[in-house]
Formats: sequence, C-alpha cells, structure tokens
Amino acid sequence: MSTKRFRIGVDIGGTFTDGTLVDTDTGDITTSKVLTTPDDPSLGFISAIRRLLSPGSSGTPPDSPDARGARPVSPELVDHVVHATTVATNAIIERKTAPTAFVTTKGFRDMLEIARQIRPSLYDLQFEKPPPLVPRRLCFEVPERLGAKGEVITALDEEATRQVARAIAATGIESVAVCLLHSYRNPAHEQAVGKILAEEIPGVSVSLSSAVVPEFREYFRASTTVINAGVRPIVGRYLTTIEKRLDADGFDCDLLVMQSNGGVYSSAAAIEKPVFMVESGPAAGSVAAAAIGTALGYPDVISFDMGGTTAKASLIRDGRPSVTKDYTVGAAAQSGAGAFGGASGYPVRTPVVDLVEVGAGGGSIGWVDSGGALRVGPHSAGASPGPACYGNGGEEPTITDANLVLGRLDPMYFAGGEIPLDRERAARAIDQHCAQKLGLSVEETAHGIIEIATTAMVNALRLVSVQRGHDPRDFMLVAFGGAGPAHAVRIAEEVGVSRALIPLEPGTASAMGLLSTDIRMESTTTVISRADSLNPGELQDAFSSMESKGAATLREAASAHTGTRFERAIEMRYYGQSFELTVDAPEGEADATWMSAILEKFHASHERAYGFRVDAEPVEVVNLRSTAVGEIRKPGLKPLANVGGDLNAALKSRRPVYFNPQTGFVETPVFDRVRLPAGAKFNGPAIVEEKDSTTVVLPGWRAQVDPYGNLLITR
Amino acid sequence: MIRSALTQATEEMAVALRRSAYSTNVKTRQDFSCAFFDRNLRAVAQAFTQPVHLGSFVRHVPYAIGEYGADKLGPGDMILSNDPYGGGVHLNDIALIGPVHYGGQVIGYTACLAHHVDVGGGAPASVGAFREVFQEGVIIPRVKLVKGGEIVRDIFNLVLAQIRSKRETAGDFRAQIAANRTGAARISEIVDRYGLDEFNRYVDELIEYTARRTAAELQKLPHGEFSAEGFVDNDGFTDDVVKLAVKVTINGSGVRFDTTGSARQRRAPVNSTFAQTYSACAYALRALIDKDLPVNDGFYRYVHVEAPEGTVTNCVHPAPVVGGWETHVRLNDLIFLALSDALPEAVCAGTKAMQCHSGFGGEVEPDPLNPVTGAPGARAEYFCFLETLAGGYGGRHASDGPDAVQTHGQNTENAPIEETESNYPVRITRYELVPDSEGAGRFRGGLGLRRDYQFPQQVTFTVLADRDRAGPHGLFGGETGCKSVYAVIDDDKETVLSSKTTIDLAPGRVISYRTSGGGGYGPPGRRDPERVANDVRDGKVSIERALNVYRVVIDPATLAVDTVKTGQLRGGDAQ
Repeated sequence: MSTKRFRIGVDIGGTFTDGTLVDTDTGDITTSKVLTTPDDPSLGFISAIRRLLSPGSSGTPPDSPDARGARPVSPELVDHVVHATTVATNAIIERKTAPTAFVTTKGFRDMLEIARQIRPSLYDLQFEKPPPLVPRRLCFEVPERLGAKGEVITALDEEATRQVARAIAATGIESVAVCLLHSYRNPAHEQAVGKILAEEIPGVSVSLSSAVVPEFREYFRASTTVINAGVRPIVGRYLTTIEKRLDADGFDCDLLVMQSNGGVYSSAAAIEKPVFMVESGPAAGSVAAAAIGTALGYPDVISFDMGGTTAKASLIRDGRPSVTKDYTVGAAAQSGAGAFGGASGYPVRTPVVDLVEVGAGGGSIGWVDSGGALRVGPHSAGASPGPACYGNGGEEPTITDANLVLGRLDPMYFAGGEIPLDRERAARAIDQHCAQKLGLSVEETAHGIIEIATTAMVNALRLVSVQRGHDPRDFMLVAFGGAGPAHAVRIAEEVGVSRALIPLEPGTASAMGLLSTDIRMESTTTVISRADSLNPGELQDAFSSMESKGAATLREAASAHTGTRFERAIEMRYYGQSFELTVDAPEGEADATWMSAILEKFHASHERAYGFRVDAEPVEVVNLRSTAVGEIRKPGLKPLANVGGDLNAALKSRRPVYFNPQTGFVETPVFDRVRLPAGAKFNGPAIVEEKDSTTVVLPGWRAQVDPYGNLLITR
Repeated sequence: MIRSALTQATEEMAVALRRSAYSTNVKTRQDFSCAFFDRNLRAVAQAFTQPVHLGSFVRHVPYAIGEYGADKLGPGDMILSNDPYGGGVHLNDIALIGPVHYGGQVIGYTACLAHHVDVGGGAPASVGAFREVFQEGVIIPRVKLVKGGEIVRDIFNLVLAQIRSKRETAGDFRAQIAANRTGAARISEIVDRYGLDEFNRYVDELIEYTARRTAAELQKLPHGEFSAEGFVDNDGFTDDVVKLAVKVTINGSGVRFDTTGSARQRRAPVNSTFAQTYSACAYALRALIDKDLPVNDGFYRYVHVEAPEGTVTNCVHPAPVVGGWETHVRLNDLIFLALSDALPEAVCAGTKAMQCHSGFGGEVEPDPLNPVTGAPGARAEYFCFLETLAGGYGGRHASDGPDAVQTHGQNTENAPIEETESNYPVRITRYELVPDSEGAGRFRGGLGLRRDYQFPQQVTFTVLADRDRAGPHGLFGGETGCKSVYAVIDDDKETVLSSKTTIDLAPGRVISYRTSGGGGYGPPGRRDPERVANDVRDGKVSIERALNVYRVVIDPATLAVDTVKTGQLRGGDAQ
C-alpha cells in the first residue's frame, strides 16, 4: 500500500458542494454532499472534506455499495485535492470583480467600450450593451505603436508610461490589465509597461495580454486579459484561504484546480491565470463522461448532464472533450446558435470545453403562448417554490410535474423519499395552465411538455455533434445529473444514438470528473504564415521551446503527476479565411512528411465541418498550440459485488406508466438500482429507481447492468 | 419540433457560410443571411445576422425563382442574382438560391445572401457616387452558377472578371454554395424523419401559427394613422436634401406604410429599391412586437407597403442603388418618429441611421507575409476593403442611448484592427468615442465614434455615408445629436469631405471619420445630476457642457455635483 493513496475532488455548485474520495489502491469511492456556503465557500469546501474523511457522516447512502468499507482516513494519506469552483465566474456575473485599470496603445482607450460595435439583440429598441468591465475613467493610454509584424513604429515613451502608472496608483485599484496593439507578435512593450507598473504601484497585480493569451484580434485578447485581471485578486484570496484550511486540518498535499478545458492546473498557476478556470464546474461533467467512456472502451461519447434548471451537452472524441475558444462569459442564456447572443457578454479566448446549454431542467416551466403553442422554459421554478408537485407554492407545471403525472416518477421515492410529491397538484397545474388551453387531456399535455423539452435538448446534442461535422450515431450517450436518466433514452431515440449509459449515482457523477483528469498547461504561439513558405524545422523549434517551458511549469506546479507527455495542435485555415480549424499534429518530429500529414488532416476536417475542401488553395498556419500534460493515474472502475444475483430481488413494484398517446398507460416493472446485480438484463418498458435519480427505459429498448454497475441501454 | 429543426437548419447554413468565407465583410462583419423557402416560395425559416435582409430577401428569392422558372432548376442547381429592380437591393448583395429536391420533387429552396466586398464598378469595394447603375458594378440577372452540383466555369469566370478582389470573392462564392448544401442536407434529414406529408403540414401550421401570433400582437398596438417627414442630407451630387415621408396606418388587418410624398429618384446613389423600403417597414413592425416570434410568411402578410414608383423609396431602372441603404435606414428613424406620440415608451430618439461605409482599395506590391497579396510569384494585386462604422443610438424613455453601436437594420461588427493591419496596407491610428457628441436629454443619446485610417501607399478611398448636415433628432425636448464629420488630414491640415465622395489619396494621408451621436430623450435640464457627473468622470461629457446644456454644476477638483449651485441654476426643475 502506497503512503499517499487517497485523492479528493470537491465541486462547489450553486446549491450543493460535492466531495469525492477515492482510494487508489482499492478503487473504493466515498462521496459527500453539504450545502454550499455562498458567503465563504471555503467553509463548505472543508466540511465536505471532513465528511469524506470521517466515517458515518458521509453523504453516501448507507445501502450504497460504495459506502462499504468506509473508514476514517488520515489527512496525511491524501496525495492531492482537485477543486472545481465557480468563484471566478460568479465574480464576473455578479459584477464583483476587483477594481481594475486598463492600459492600451494611444488612440485606443475605448477598445472595451466600443467592443464589437453590435447590438446583442436585433429587434430590441431597448437593448443594452454589456457595461465595460473597466469604466472609461480607469482606461489609460501609453504612447507606443507596433506594426502587424511586430516591428516598432513608435517606441514606448517610458516617462509618459511612468506618469500613467502614477495616475493609476492614485486611483487605488488592485489590478491592471495591459493590452497593446500587436503585442502577440512582440511582447517587449507590454513587458516594459508591466515593469514600470510594478515599480510605481507596489503590490499591484499586472496581467499582460501577451502572457495571458498571445493571439491576434485586439478586443478579444483585451477582454480575456481584463477578466483575468479582475478575478485575479479574488481567486488569489480564495485559493489562499482554501490552502490555509487544508493546512489547518493537517493536509500535506497539492491543491489542483479544474480548468475550463477539462484539465487541472496547480493553485499557483490558477492564481496567475484564473481566466482559464471560468468554466471549471461544467467541464468536470464532460471529463467524467469521457473517463467512463474510455474505461469501458467507448472513446467517442456524447455527454448529457441535466439538472434542475438547465441541460448541457458536450462531445468527447478519442476520450477527450472537444474544446472551443469561441466562448463568452456572462452572456444571456442562449438556446441556439444565435449569432449575436454572445454580444451580451464578454469574450474569453481560452480553451473551454465545448458545451451547449439549454434552459431545460426538471424545474423548467411549461406554458402556452399567444399563438396557442405549448412551450417549455426558459423560466424555471428553481428549488423554491419548485415544481407544483412539491407543494411549496409552485403553481406552474414543470417537467418534473409532467414526469410525475405520467407515472415515471414515484411520488413517495423522489430524492430517496425525502421530498414527497403531490400528483394531484401536478395534474391540476398542467390542466389549468396548459391542457385546457390546448384542448388536450392532462396526460397528452404532460407528454407534450416532455416532447418539447426533448426537442430543445436534442438541438443541444445536434449543435455539439452535427454542426461540428460529427454523426451522433457513432457515439454513445452518457447521461447523468439528477434529471438526465429520465430523458436519456428518448433523446437517444431522437438523435439516432443506439447506446445510452447511466452511471451509478448519476446525481454526483460529475464530481468523479475531478479525479479522472490530468494536469494540462496550454501555451500558444501565433505564426500567421503560409504552410508552403514555412520550414517545418521552425515549427519544431517553436514547439520544442513551448514544451521545455511547459515541462518546467509542470515541475514547479505539482508533484501529483507520474508521467509527462506533450500534445501538439495547429490552428489552420485556407489562406484568406478568418476562422481556424484546430488539427492535432501527428507524433514525431516536424518534417516534410509530418507537414503533409497535417495538411491532409486539415483538408479533411474542413470538408467535415463545411462540406468542401480545396486542395489547390494554399493553407495558412495561424497558431501553434502546445499542451504539457502531467499524467495522473485514473481510478479504475470498481466491479460490482453483486454478480449474477436474481433480477427479481431488485423488482420493487409494478405501476402504470404513460409512454405515448398511442398506448397510453402501460403496466411497467420498477427496479431498485442498488439491488440490480451485474449482468442483469431486462427489456423496456421499465423504470429504475435510485436515491438521486430515476431512469426511464422506453419500450423497444433493452437494459443491461455491466460488471461495474453502469446501466447500458441499447436498441 | 419541426420549427426548431428548420430554424436550426438555417442557422447551420449561417455558421457554414461565415466560417468558411474569405472576405472580412462576410467572415468577421457577418454581412449575410440565410433562409429556407417552401415549395410555394413562402419564407419559412430565416437565420438573420442582418435585419436589413429581413423583408428584402423574402422579396428577392420568390421573384428570382419566378423569373428564372422553377421548372428549369434540377437537383444540385443554384442560381445567382443581384438584380436591384427585380426584388433585389444594391449590387454588392448577391443571392444564391437552390431548390431542395426530395424523392424526385422540389420541396423548397435554400437561399443565402452575402454582401460581397467588391462587384466591380467605378471605385474599389463598389461604393461611390455614380449616376447610373451600370457604373456600380456587375449586374447579375439570375444565372445558373451551379449545375448538378458543379460550378459552371464560364459564368463563374465571367463574373469574376468584373471584380477587383477575385480571390476573396471566389472564396465567398464557395462558402455560399457550401451553406446552401448544408441547408438542403438538413432539410432532407428533417423530411426523412417526419415524412413529406407531415413536413408540409407542419410548414403550413408554422406559418399559420406566426400569423395568429402576429394578429394577436397587432391588437396590442395603437390603431390609427401616424406620419413623419425627414431627409437624407444630400445625394452626393447636389446639395438638395432628399425628402422622405412616411404615413403608418395600424389596424387589425395589418400595418400599412405609405411613402407618398418622398422625393423623386435621383441620378445619384441614394435610391432605395422597393425591397429595401419593404425591409425597413418589416423591421419596424418586428421591433414593436414580441421578440420571440418566429418570422415567416405568416408575419410578412401583415406588412403592407405603398411606395410610389420612381421615388427614392422605389426606384426604377437605371437609377443607381449603392446608397439605397442610407435611405432605408433613415426611413426607420422616421417610422419610429411617426409613432413616438402613440408609443413613447417603445421607440427611441433618432439614431446614427446611416450605413456609414468606408471603402478603399488599390494595387499592392506582393508581400510574402500578406495573405491577400502574398501568393508566390504574384505581381501587383488589387485589394479591396469595406467596413461600416457605428454611431450613437437614440435615448429611450428610461435609458440612455448606447454609445458607438450599429442601428436598426444594420448590425455588422467592426473589423479587428490587428486583423485589418495584418491583411491590408493600412494603419488605424485612432479608434475612440467622440466626447460631447451626444444629443443631450433626460436620457442622452449615445456617443459617436472616431476612426482614423492612414495609408503608407496610394489608395482610392470612398466615403458613402450621411448625417454631415444634421444630427439625429431628439424626442420630447431632447436635443439633436452631433452631426458627422468626414475629413482628410494632411500633416495637421484638415479638409472636410462630403459624405458621399471618392478620392485618390497620396501616401501618408489620413482619413478621419467622426460619426454622429444619438438624439436625446426628454429635456436635458431634467437629467439626473448624478448621471451627468458620471459622464463627466468618464470623460464622455465635458464640465462646460454639463453646465451649459444640462445645467449641472460639477466641482472640477472632486468631479462631484455641487447640489446647491445646481439647484439654484435649475430652479424648480432640480431633482
């Protein structure tokens, strides 16, 4: 037995803080759940950890197979803690970022105010542009100018810069973002400005755009840098507090933080570049789905996570979640590919797991619009008052109410029986708000609510697959979140997926993602050069230089990893286009063969994405992306102890369940998930209940319990 | 469910077009739109990036197919069209339309329209003040560009031969073809899933659904007749203002827009085609009703436009049309002015309401690092660049007009300076807000912006804009926004240009745009002094202007409101 054999993951969500403890020797997993403590999230963090370590106080149900063998664990046996947090995102959304100044090239003070000069909504005469993250009075100019090749047109006026620094010092801000034109080509002026700022404003936090995201397109780089600067003092204080709490409890381990791209980085790196963690929480779910798929031999997976207010979809290929750099933080909720929705928020050009989120969750409200059409969401009843069936004053019908009326949920076994549901209230809400207006029965209307919500979720799945040039039929659906398993099979049916997998304890599955990832340090070099005029040796040198820096960062960062590897990708486009496609580089030294392999991959992915390729057109290399990966051993899946047991022992009851208007209610067996033995097989229709979720197996589908307790549903 | 699938199909078209396009205007500035029409040429689903294409596109496509003959289009065929008087707009906006075949029959049409950076004619980027449409570029009267899935080389080459920026235009055509194919594939998938009968039934139902909701929305609008008059500042050749008139009649059967009384068409670039005028009217109605309404034929049937032939609101052959959007967008300001007494909380004060084009081009020596000119072995190559600049928005009943933003039918993005300078021989030397340019008001108009261009080499530059004589109107006591200035700067000597000019620039010269601020809403003397002080602290409004126009006294040392002096100055009006 190794000395430090335990690892901990903590995911702080809006309502709950989830903890997961894994024993890497045995594969045993313990989970805990405590209420999030918004005033000081570190309190919830540490109490989730304490519950993991001391027996009997765990949030794991006592009859869960995972709870067996839970014994007290001493803090010094913990190798590292992985943390996902929304502290950065919340600061941006709630506009509680640290007071920040912005410094740019003379003539461009209003870069953040003007932004993209567009309206976020096309037909709204009362629209507002998002307020700039830095008010105009805190935006400053320094005399200097670089050209597009990085050449100096006007040298930096250091004396004027010093005066600007003093003016900034007088404002009392905590943090400064610097973004000078064309600094992605030549960081010298930004570095000089950074040095002067540090000299004149002791203790100030300085973020240079050439260090945060050295890529062209000034507003996008500036926005990313300003967000980094604005959350840096907040994230710094927060992570320092977390580390102190761990120290006080006797931990001697690394603290790692989940990044938006699905990898983790050290808390030191997180404090330096917090903008890389704005989508920390949602990324964990995709990583969990990827880990489950990979462990079972399905590297191509669509991850589907449905909770109380939204559903999220993402695509995993070759075991890796797809990432995008086309991302906006703080934007109005979007349910489609609206071209300008993103203009209501702030662009962030860091790699983010490519998630599509739609306003369809258990609490989403069904309603009838003025044209007589049934609609669902985006309004949600939330946790309070909650769905009508909670009996807490909710009057409007929700997806949960629809599921209850159709017999898919057991009124006495929701959340393991902790929340008794009132079927009468649900039926009344559906009747009064929807069914009467539509002239349909309550059941038909409830079925309609589910179907409309299904459409929105199917669109989300199509956006991450079809629109990116992938055929969803080649993927397995991994569904989790409290509400995911009730809708997974119907969604699979609509998207054309023939295999859906529901992990054990779907409500907390996403926290497992925290323990299934590697340290990933990404860096970029902008090239902007035609492939036919590039010497592969130059690319090799550029990659090697990024890799040696990456390796050094990994060494400093954390001791948690056991191996190191490097991934290379190139962002390319046809010469003259503006949007790049990212192509993974093949293994080996960059030489002529390597180059032609890359070009072929680019043409092929262009064809997949846009339906055409033009082999005769020159191709341009825009950015080189290097990722230094510090590999962390993944916990293996633990086999279920109950093998070959009797399926009938798991049969709880039978009840009438409504699947479609043609057949109406059908007598359906209800199974208890924790009593299902490995290898059990049964046909739909069937309902499978566990404490935090209910799985609906539709007629025509077949379910099977795999050796690890996952429910595999196929057609 | 089919509705959302259809909308998504057109949005996927838009993504394919944008991301695979070559010209800055399409790929970055998003000057394009995509749509699906049913077998009867009714608009069913549209993915808009530009509201100007609302309405104009739905007239262009049915007309083009009707004229060409639906029976002459086989599977994989697509026709190209930019005929302005045949439902089209200005020549730069080229539509590509193809039938969607399923099981041997036509089940609809996918169409996309893109603003091409150059279509030939008298000046780079095909913008400028001309006398006749023939000077404006290549006229494409509905020709088959794609036959059976293959590009018709002769047509392609003939069109490209008229155009300056051949590489970009060729790339944009390919992107348009890809977009239509994407749309057709998605529509076919939908029919695969639901069956053709069901599909057609749902399309009918979707259109009726929109019609029902539009009718319900019309009941909420004030019924009656509302009029306004206004002007485009000049036509580019004479200083005579171009009069615009509009009468809006709202009742249960729809909204009628009558432009009788507008000026006769000019031998100058300010003429709007019928489709452009229709588009302005459709946009106005769209902006006054539920934002969530899916737009299709069920909406358009309630938009009625009377635009007398031969006027600047419905020009006929051979009137030039390149500046027709200037007239179109000004018409929008007038429609909202007409409705301001009846709908004071819904409308805004006068906005930038001009396209404000900046176009330039010229020959460049090949530069191996430059993606436009650097093709190996290339000789001097022609480049073209076009962008449109934002200005101030009008104040609203409870909020200021936003600063530096596109208005009404126009929502094109700015081109990033770093991208522009990497690709074209230009340096942007200033890009900033213009302080004190707002129309003062209880809720002020937005600030205009300044953008200066410097050229290291000789180029031909065109300003095609407006608002150089009068700024956007205020409402209910709000003041007029600052007018625009277009100037050429040679060292420190500044020469003001007309708003519709093409000039050759010697190396080193600077062109400077300062766009208009938005009109104010309500009297400036009623503006919350704290809001005035905030603008002063941000350097958006000067202390002098705060005092003289808003009657708010700001202490220059602390930048705080001197409430006592302000109260004395404002008398009973002080808040």
